[in-house]
Amino acid sequence: MLAAFSSEWVKLRRRAVLLWGLGGGLLFTVLITIFTIERAVKVIGPGFHGHGFRITVAQLSQADGLVHGFVDASTLVGIVALCLFAGATASEYSQGTMSNLLVRQPRRAVLLAGKYLALALFIAIAVALAIIVASAFAFLLAPGKGVSTSAWTSSTGLNDLAQSFLHVYLACLGYGVFGMALAIVLRSPGVSIALGVAWVIPAEAIITAIWSNGDRWLPGQLLSALAHGGTSSSSYSHSLVLLVVYAALAAAGTVALFARRDA
Amino acid sequence: MVPGTLPRDSSMTGNDHSALGHPAVITTGLTKRYGERLAVDGLEIELPRGVVSGFVGPNGAGKTTTIRMLLGLVAPSSGSATVLGHSIDHPAAYLSHVGALVESPAFYPTLSGRRNLEVLTRLGRLDGSRIDEVLGLVELADRAGDLVRSYSLGMRQRLGVAAALLPEPDLVILDEPANGLDPAGIREMRGLLRGLADRGQTVFVSSHQLSEIEAICDHLVMIHQGRTVFQGPVAELLESQHSDLLAMPEHPADLARLAELCSRLGKPARVDGDTVRVAAPGDWAAELNRQAMAGGITLRGLQSTRASLEEAFFAVTEGGQD
Repeated sequence: MLAAFSSEWVKLRRRAVLLWGLGGGLLFTVLITIFTIERAVKVIGPGFHGHGFRITVAQLSQADGLVHGFVDASTLVGIVALCLFAGATASEYSQGTMSNLLVRQPRRAVLLAGKYLALALFIAIAVALAIIVASAFAFLLAPGKGVSTSAWTSSTGLNDLAQSFLHVYLACLGYGVFGMALAIVLRSPGVSIALGVAWVIPAEAIITAIWSNGDRWLPGQLLSALAHGGTSSSSYSHSLVLLVVYAALAAAGTVALFARRDA
Repeated sequence: MVPGTLPRDSSMTGNDHSALGHPAVITTGLTKRYGERLAVDGLEIELPRGVVSGFVGPNGAGKTTTIRMLLGLVAPSSGSATVLGHSIDHPAAYLSHVGALVESPAFYPTLSGRRNLEVLTRLGRLDGSRIDEVLGLVELADRAGDLVRSYSLGMRQRLGVAAALLPEPDLVILDEPANGLDPAGIREMRGLLRGLADRGQTVFVSSHQLSEIEAICDHLVMIHQGRTVFQGPVAELLESQHSDLLAMPEHPADLARLAELCSRLGKPARVDGDTVRVAAPGDWAAELNRQAMAGGITLRGLQSTRASLEEAFFAVTEGGQD
């Protein structure tokens, strides 16, 4: 598996992968962090209904204020992860390189596992980079908006920072499993990415608008809840357990299909 | 078995190579069905070790499907096969000793040639120093750092062959390796493949360029409609084909007389320019010379012609369609 991991890593060092894989999540995270702090208000007026990332200066000054933008960007970072896993896997089919790989590593489950691990490490770096740069921007912008940063560097603040990283990263791994599953089933980078994104954003939004309990069962909603450390409708533990079940089923199905299907 | 082709028996599988050990590839009733379509139909192959064996057949004959089954990429619908003594049900047991170029060479266009090979050496736990060796062998060393997307088809083809040679394989399977190569590249490829066989490696090469196959291969597997129609030494196939004797009488006035003489002796003949073409095997030349002399005809030239591989190919495959 280490050989497959090491081999995949050569491909991940390509300029385009670095640009989109690392830069995509970073861009979204930084933009949303800037947006969150710049739009912070002293008091939320009675006419405001809570839309548009509006938050108060007092809320931002709390220990978890540093990661507000990062966590709010988690769905977009997750979509970057989904695209990365799906694209890196499906492009082996579209480029015709899958046959070369299978000749050198005929144990297909091992090949897939090594690939997943390499992508998982890559996305860990991407998420870490995003949280570091977004935090730097937050520290730069906060004084200008009157946001106190003293709580951010407290032990509670640093704990929130670490937990947010872990939650968002776990969510990205989940997006990765589903992205890879789509890639193996569809064998086309464009189609698997389009279908994955279409499911996570509009399709689940429509379903949850119709089915009130949808956010407790749909994978995209659960991944969002996981990244946020749990929500009012879906606790962290509920989200995590259900996602582990979904991911295990998706992974088992993917490996079974990959192992048996003609390449 | 298609009429007009040689049956498979021990003499066909290359007695000359019997000292080279167990066959590199054996297939027994190997079959691949896609829905209603039979891509490979009970294929029987026995490929001796240490030879350059050509794998020929018309488009759609099942060559690539067969190669993919031997490489564990496609599961057979029925039948069995062994590669280097291991069942194709367990490709991990033998693929570390096999190098392959399957169909058109596929690489990561935004990686250099060297990095593309690095992907494969890492994956197969191969010796990284082989990269420069094989790049040198296929004469790509000076372009190894360039992105593959800047390579010509011929260069990609050579990189594909380099990738196949990375593991220092006992068996090299190449699917159309001469595609896109210029005449000089084809000549180099010919030398490269011969060199592999000289080092004891077995080369199984599919190609549409029958003249190339004839030039480099000492063994041949010919398939048609998913079935084996010939396998054995190339010379054996060519000898089995119709051959002619070309007789040139000293005096043109004797042309018609010589043709008539041959026909009387049971060998159909016709005048073709200043030559009489006699449908007879090469070993009838001495008899023809004697009979011409006895008939008062002096021959200024007598030669045997044999069918080219291309003619043999069409004779065998078109016979199979009847």
